Amino acid sequence: MSEKELGKKWDRCLADGAIKFGTGLGLGIVFSVLFFKRHTWPISLCSGAGLGMAFSNCQNDLRSSYLLHRSQKVGLCNKTHSN
Amino acid sequence: MAARILPVVKLATKVTIAGGALYIAYDSGLLGSSEQGSEALNRAKAAIPPAVEEWMKYFGLETPLPTMPKVEFSPVQAWNSGVRRSISSLSEAPTKATQYTNQGLQYLKDLTK
Repeated sequence: MSEKELGKKWDRCLADGAIKFGTGLGLGIVFSVLFFKRHTWPISLCSGAGLGMAFSNCQNDLRSSYLLHRSQKVGLCNKTHSN
Repeated sequence: MAARILPVVKLATKVTIAGGALYIAYDSGLLGSSEQGSEALNRAKAAIPPAVEEWMKYFGLETPLPTMPKVEFSPVQAWNSGVRRSISSLSEAPTKATQYTNQGLQYLKDLTK
């Protein structure tokens, strides 16, 4: 992974985190007002869940260059079975 | 009869609104991967100026909105230059410290002469 690519991945991570936090906040407010009598906990739950989704995406994105992708695995299988 | 149906109708309306909000969030890719999220952000950025213009026209304010002044400040550049400067000053600190102490000692020696 080149430096430039890594920088872009981090940019995407931060933007994604902001978007998901905002979405979680909005949905949390909607749910809190509609169903939970304007308590605070749905808001914090949903925004926390949004941050968690962003973290998971970021983790997968940064790890993806070290994983074997499916086409490479199929190639390995063919190689071992052809003997 | 109506008094019994009303709570059901209220609940149904609430569920519809909540479900609609959730569906909109899912459909616009806000809950998907990071690429979808940045795509949605770009679409939103592109859609804001025409929407703002339409709202201005609706309210009858035909005056052109003061355009955001093109600030030449880039937070990324500022941060990077700040990091570089602080690390370089840290790396030069021991040399500079010995230099200054030597100068101070020399000055004191000159005083006592």
